[in-house]
Amino acid sequence: MRYGGKVAVDDLTFTVKPGLVTGFLGPNGAGKSTTMRAVLGLDPPSAGLALVNGRPYASIPRPMRSMGALLDAGAVHGGRTAYAHLAWLARSNGIGRARVAAVLDQVGLTDVAGQRIRGFSLGMRQRLGIGAALLGDPGVLMLDEPLNGLDPEGIRWLRDLLRSLAGEGRTVLLSSHLMNEMALSADHVIVIGRGRLIADTAMADLAGHFQGDVLVRTPHPERLAGLLRGHGATVAAQEDGALSVRELSAARIGELALAGGIALAELSPRSASLEEAFMRLTEHTTEYRTASGAAPASDTAPASGTQNERGSANERTAGRRSAAKEAGR
Amino acid sequence: MMIDAIAAEWLKFRSLRSNLYLLACSLAAVGACAGIAFMIGRGFDNQTPDERMAFTGNGDGLGNGIAVAYIVFAVLGALTITSEHGTRMIQTSLVAVPRRQVLLLAKVPSLAAIALVAGQVLAFAMHAASMAVLGDRAGRLLRDGTTLGTSLSEPGVLASVVAAGVSMAAVALIGLGVGAAVRSTAGALAVLAVIVVVLPVVAKTLPMPLRAQLGSFMVENLPLQIAGTGGGVLPPAVAAGLLAGYVAAALTAGATVIAPARRRLRVLAAGVAVAVLVPAAPAAATAAPDSGPSTLAWADCADRSLVKELRCASITVPVDWAKPAGRKIELTVGLLPATGAQRRIGTVFAVPGGPGSSGVADLSTSAGSFAELRARFDVVTVEPRNTIDKGVLSYDCLLSGPWITWPDTPAEYAELGRRNRAAAERCRAADPEFFDHMDSASVARDMEAIRVALGEERLSFLTNSYGGVPGIAYSRLFPERVRAMAIDGSASPYLDRAQSRLPHEESFARFADWCAASTTCALHGRDVGQVWRALVARADREPVPVRGESPPVAYSGLDIKEAAAPSIVSPGPEPEFPRWVELAEAIARADAGDASGFARYVRQITKSAKVPAFTGMNMTHCLDGHGFRDYAEYRAARRKGERLLPNLAGIELWHQLACVGWPVPATNPPAPLPGGKLPPYLGVGSWTDLQGSADIVRRVPGSATLQYQWHGHGLYNAGISCVIAHVNRYLISLRLPAPGATCPRPAT
Repeated sequence: MRYGGKVAVDDLTFTVKPGLVTGFLGPNGAGKSTTMRAVLGLDPPSAGLALVNGRPYASIPRPMRSMGALLDAGAVHGGRTAYAHLAWLARSNGIGRARVAAVLDQVGLTDVAGQRIRGFSLGMRQRLGIGAALLGDPGVLMLDEPLNGLDPEGIRWLRDLLRSLAGEGRTVLLSSHLMNEMALSADHVIVIGRGRLIADTAMADLAGHFQGDVLVRTPHPERLAGLLRGHGATVAAQEDGALSVRELSAARIGELALAGGIALAELSPRSASLEEAFMRLTEHTTEYRTASGAAPASDTAPASGTQNERGSANERTAGRRSAAKEAGR
Repeated sequence: MMIDAIAAEWLKFRSLRSNLYLLACSLAAVGACAGIAFMIGRGFDNQTPDERMAFTGNGDGLGNGIAVAYIVFAVLGALTITSEHGTRMIQTSLVAVPRRQVLLLAKVPSLAAIALVAGQVLAFAMHAASMAVLGDRAGRLLRDGTTLGTSLSEPGVLASVVAAGVSMAAVALIGLGVGAAVRSTAGALAVLAVIVVVLPVVAKTLPMPLRAQLGSFMVENLPLQIAGTGGGVLPPAVAAGLLAGYVAAALTAGATVIAPARRRLRVLAAGVAVAVLVPAAPAAATAAPDSGPSTLAWADCADRSLVKELRCASITVPVDWAKPAGRKIELTVGLLPATGAQRRIGTVFAVPGGPGSSGVADLSTSAGSFAELRARFDVVTVEPRNTIDKGVLSYDCLLSGPWITWPDTPAEYAELGRRNRAAAERCRAADPEFFDHMDSASVARDMEAIRVALGEERLSFLTNSYGGVPGIAYSRLFPERVRAMAIDGSASPYLDRAQSRLPHEESFARFADWCAASTTCALHGRDVGQVWRALVARADREPVPVRGESPPVAYSGLDIKEAAAPSIVSPGPEPEFPRWVELAEAIARADAGDASGFARYVRQITKSAKVPAFTGMNMTHCLDGHGFRDYAEYRAARRKGERLLPNLAGIELWHQLACVGWPVPATNPPAPLPGGKLPPYLGVGSWTDLQGSADIVRRVPGSATLQYQWHGHGLYNAGISCVIAHVNRYLISLRLPAPGATCPRPAT
């Protein structure tokens, strides 16, 4: 998948499973939105397939009944009321008016249904966009950065909503560039960077792979580092002279220091945040995979850069299979 | 799926209040129409009657505001898609309706429906506003045959207003297509402003006929062309096809741009095919249905004194139409070509009078009278075979002739016949066969040959003076070839001669009234009628000599009447009435025993001391059946004339008397018109010459007459605007003036 001659998403294959909330993670420009647009047929891939329930989105009659999508909460006409916006969307997919009222209620916009969207906050627009995605009561939901602009109460509401939808057996995919947000929202996580798959794993596993380190300060860092390495630790010197120690617990480090007669100024175990794990994953583009993850081919490094080039879709050559994703229930 | 998408687009359109505001903006078009109509009305009021006649009509009243309406509707159409791009809502729309052509085309029905309704409301409001502002002035007839404003009751106007409303909907769809192609409101506005406003203005700055040709393709000129009431050169079906084609082209552009890249070529190809075929089909179907190619070779006229625009060609016809393979003569055909400003209706044949006048010379002289008619017609005329300066027979001979007497006995009748025959034979000797085929039926057959050469299915006619007689002959011989015939100042071969001169008696009465009122009349203070009748009675007994004339010449009463008649009916411009002044002096002098007042005037005109019966006229008159059967018929006619015409008895028999003893029998005597086979005619004339025209056209069902309430003869050629207006209206739209219609006397 190319944008203006740059590869945005390259040979990306994963499946989103029903019954789970799947997070779709990656730094800005990693290709999350591009992938979602490809799924919706907005930017057709230069090669490969994007299928929903096994068929291209554009070929599905009344597609909103199969998949609800929120790409951009701002993609509305400010001159319409929330009700009118949902009403035309519903009509376009043969969805009854009763469903419009129900969805407005579900997203908490009933009181402002008669107001023009131009007066809405970003959070209200997100709710409206989520409502639009829910209109067709779809089996698959695909939401791009739905938490943006939501207040804490809104975030909690959406998490609960998504969990309950997944609990009903629906397939839920939501994207974010913030790992911490995702830690509480998603059961499963797919991480991409530079348009390529980095991780496809359960949220819990991801955190487990990144155990914490221990921060140690001492007047004799070289001696301590040598001693700890002798006991199998990985030691990295911090810029301020402190040591970051892995593979040994704080208690063991304390014992070894005492035995070695080295004074310690500080000994702090640090637990690794998902955020750090995510940062590390994407910074180094380490090819990390779990047993179930799909393996990217080794010769498919991006031609240049990781930034999506926004602009007219100008697909030129498509030498390899790319952007293929299946979402199924 | 399409139904859902269409219904959704309807909701989309309805749920934006801005669309309503935009539609409200289109009312500015009504304001524009009313404002400009107001200015036209004001300008009209400040003009003289003749200048008013030269106004360009305001038509159905939409023309001045339609560009405003178009811009609003174009923006409305463009916004239905560009506002989605502007707000990025297109993305949401494409998620809901992922098939792009479906999304675009689903916008068409709701936009078209709303624009159709709004367009009709607006078009009728614009029309009503224009007409209301013009008020009574709307009905004022103009020289180009239209009225200042045209109401819905007039043919084609309802259609043009409806078509204008439809065109607004078409422009909204064009806006949609352009909007989809350009994808930005500002860009679409720029493109649409060029299409709707800039191009028409540019077209108007071009020289003719490019202006009319290109102008015909402008959207704003299509409604009138669809209704067939003007606007350009395209036939209605082609104009309608073009409008549909523009819509198809714009939507094709939009559909091509919005299509996924791999489908673009296919969409483009299909759209282009539709956009081309829709207007091309009617164009092919209506290509030249009424006319074939002309076989006449038009070139500059040999006579350099003619107006430059006049083209000439020659046509070969048999001298004797009974022997088509026999001897041939060449006739010069003249053409003032259609200007190309409007769709050409056909050809008007201007039939010259006389008999003996050249239509080519006449058309050159009166070319100005035909300026407006040429917007719709080629005007064709001919130097007929009986043109006196044709060159086959001696011009001088044809321009001379015997002096006519009023025979009191069979012997005098026979004597007149001998003189007439001698004069005829003098001219005939040069080419007896040609001389014997000078009848108006032969002229009519020549006209038919010209029609065939022109490739015209039918002809429209404007006959001037004696041209009415070949017009009648043509109507009898080729009735199915007559589209329309306006007869201006013709004598009627059917009308009783004495009856036909009654208007001359009325003119004489006006002359007498003027004399009683005006001190410039030499007979002021005397009973003019009494003086006149005493004079002509005395002169018939004892002719009044012309003093100083050598050899001696004396005027009989009939001579005096014949010399005075043209002055009686044509007094010249008021208030001076120079020819009445001259006539009164001549009468006063003759009353005192000297006819030189008449002789001087007659010599100026005829190069003869008394009015001669021109052989060049008689050669046609007599073949057209002007002669008496015998002396008894003459006596009966004379008695009737003396009873009906107290002052001018005898002049009604002048041309008949010239045919006594004619060497060639009448070959084209008066015969009934095939009324049922002819379209309604229009008879035109002044106080003094309407009667003949009226008598001819009353024999054609549905015909009408128009009287110019003043003196004059050959009114259309003379440039009388009101007459030109009515005749043009008739020739263009086949609409006749109301019964009793008149044209007012010239303003003083």
